[in-house]
Amino acid sequence: MHNRLQTKFSGVTVDSPLVLPAGVMGMSYSGMSYSAVHGAGVITSKSLTLQPRTGHKGPVMAGFEGGFLNCMGLCNPGIQDGLREVNDFKERSDTPVIVSVFATNMDDFLQLTHHVNESAGDFLELNLSCPNVFDEFGIPLAASAEEVGRIVGAVKGISKKPVIAKLSPNVYDIVSIACAAQDAGADGLCMINTVGPGMLIDTKMVKPVLHNKFGGLSGPCIKPIALKLVYQTSSAIDIPILGMGGVTYGNDAVEMWMAGAQIIGVGTAIYYRGIEVFNMINQEILAYLDEMGYETINDIPRLEPIL
Amino acid sequence: MDKRVTLKIARITRETELINTYTFKHNLGARPGQFIMLTDFEGGEKPFSIADCHADEFSITVKKVGEFTTRLFEKQEGDFLSIRGPYGSSFFISNQKVLLVGGGYGTPPLYYLARTLLDVGADVTVVNGARTKEDLVFCDRFRHLGVRYQSITQDGSLGQEGTSVDLARNLLKSEHFDFVYAAGPEMMMKALMSELADYEYEFLFERYMKCAIGICGNCTVDPIGIRLCVEGPVMPKKYVVQLTEFGRYHRDATGKRIEF
Ligand SMILES: Cc1cc2nc3c(=O)[nH]c(=O)nc-3n(C[C@H](O)[C@H](O)[C@H](O)COP(=O)(O)OP(=O)(O)OC[C@H]3O[C@@H](n4cnc5c(N)ncnc54)[C@H](O)[C@@H]3O)c2cc1C
Ligand SMILES: Cc1cc2nc3c(=O)[nH]c(=O)nc-3n(C[C@H](O)[C@H](O)[C@H](O)COP(=O)(O)O)c2cc1C
Ligand code: FES
Repeated sequence: MHNRLQTKFSGVTVDSPLVLPAGVMGMSYSGMSYSAVHGAGVITSKSLTLQPRTGHKGPVMAGFEGGFLNCMGLCNPGIQDGLREVNDFKERSDTPVIVSVFATNMDDFLQLTHHVNESAGDFLELNLSCPNVFDEFGIPLAASAEEVGRIVGAVKGISKKPVIAKLSPNVYDIVSIACAAQDAGADGLCMINTVGPGMLIDTKMVKPVLHNKFGGLSGPCIKPIALKLVYQTSSAIDIPILGMGGVTYGNDAVEMWMAGAQIIGVGTAIYYRGIEVFNMINQEILAYLDEMGYETINDIPRLEPIL
Repeated sequence: MDKRVTLKIARITRETELINTYTFKHNLGARPGQFIMLTDFEGGEKPFSIADCHADEFSITVKKVGEFTTRLFEKQEGDFLSIRGPYGSSFFISNQKVLLVGGGYGTPPLYYLARTLLDVGADVTVVNGARTKEDLVFCDRFRHLGVRYQSITQDGSLGQEGTSVDLARNLLKSEHFDFVYAAGPEMMMKALMSELADYEYEFLFERYMKCAIGICGNCTVDPIGIRLCVEGPVMPKKYVVQLTEFGRYHRDATGKRIEF
């Protein structure tokens, strides 16, 4: 039988709409494989920088009732070793890979793009929105429509891969930033990165729990924010959206689709439901299709856009 | 929810000049082989194996090797430390004739295992090795437990010169064991593995850990990608034989491959 979960993202066919997002399990080729064999239809690498980074000192992750805070601090082996992991994965799998890269200036983004051009990756994702390196780099680029447009435009000029801009939810007007990315030629948007940042405090030792003090929120508590921002943005643009933020169950994924996402990230949910979460959500979407009498995922309706 | 508790150090036991045991009054509910993440909120949160665990207290045994563990050695009884866990897989509990092979600070988690195995009626032999007499831990504790026990050092400071793998090899030549367990330096376990083709076994592995809850991907092992913090740190033979990185390389805090 044909695959009822198959869909397309920016011209690339995917066997499941579920995406392993940047920074989750994507450090090694084997971590990518492990996620793919458990049902992820697209794999994103860890955000790679020109030079290796050890990231922040621990604790780098802290749980609370609604989800998690993290301040990994963009730990990664650097673009060369990171792309070796991507290439090693692509040697073993047909699953599309999004290569996520992080930089703070135009020059570095262009250098990273040249590296990714020579890799087996299928997409280039610009992480313009990491909230956890504020002390080092200041306000994320994704806070400024002008900066986003400038960088996306320049990268598009040289990239051999479709370009996705990853946006921050922590801005006043995400729609104008999304429009700037689209106008500069972005092939898709990824949203949302972690929310906040926020903090937790240890009351016995009178210390912030995270060593970096602050960290971005992920998991179930951010889903309503993600849905709202994806919905607002999809109403205003024509390029496809990789939607994420708190998706844990099949119904969350369907909500994300209805809000306007074309493919859907599942990150923190791996903690709540295990690595099997991808196959579980795939099954839950299929059950929803059966219940509602839809043939394939592409038949699921979208919300009426905001006019 | 991923739960953190902040606890007073109830007791600090000096094992050797470089190895301390820290005991906390807390019902951790850990199984042998599992670990906790420990922090002092001064920068660094690190994994440590459970060396022993009762309903009202548990302990970890720490070797001073770097910045974080050096700070731990400055702590006093009554000081607070914060933990989360227990995490990870645990050892299979056999009630047959078993051999436990420990090396250096890898040995302490085998103590909690040995105690648990004795409780279910297993016939337990422990071999314990270290570089020098000063690095060898838990000798008295194993002897008091009532297991068959042998130890050895690489410099011969206890008489016999060699490693715990040498002791294990001799025993395996003359006796049958139903199950073998090992914890210690990776190259020790690699050497042991070649003696164990005909045996069922489990090894306790170490890899760089950050989240400890199976999300960040720093502790995945090639080529299958299982996470040492969730599917490990205790790995059964069926996984160990598949690991192409075993005894060859591991990944550091950046994710870069580092050769042993
Ligand atoms: C599952 C597991 C169980 C462990 N159990 C024990 C134990 O019972 N007793 C004990 O003394 N040690 C144990 N370790 C090792 C212990 O975590 C390291 O010795 C400690 O983190 C060193 O920190 P440091 O700052 O003092 O040294 P550093 O100078 O930072 O590092 C020294 C070495 O320790 C290792 N290390 C450092 N940080 C980490 C990390 N976040 N995760 C894993 N390894 C790291 C690296 O191999 C490094 O080369 C265990 C490790 C793992 C993965
Ligand atoms: C541990 C962790 C590390 C992350 N690292 C990155 C990263 O390197 N680059 C990035 O763009 N997003 C990163 N993110 C954000 C995720 O890609 C995703 O946008 C966010 O977690 C929301 O999805 P979720 O609720 O399904 O986890 C990270 C998230 C987590 C939890
Ligand atoms: S330490 Fe993060 S996945 Fe194991």
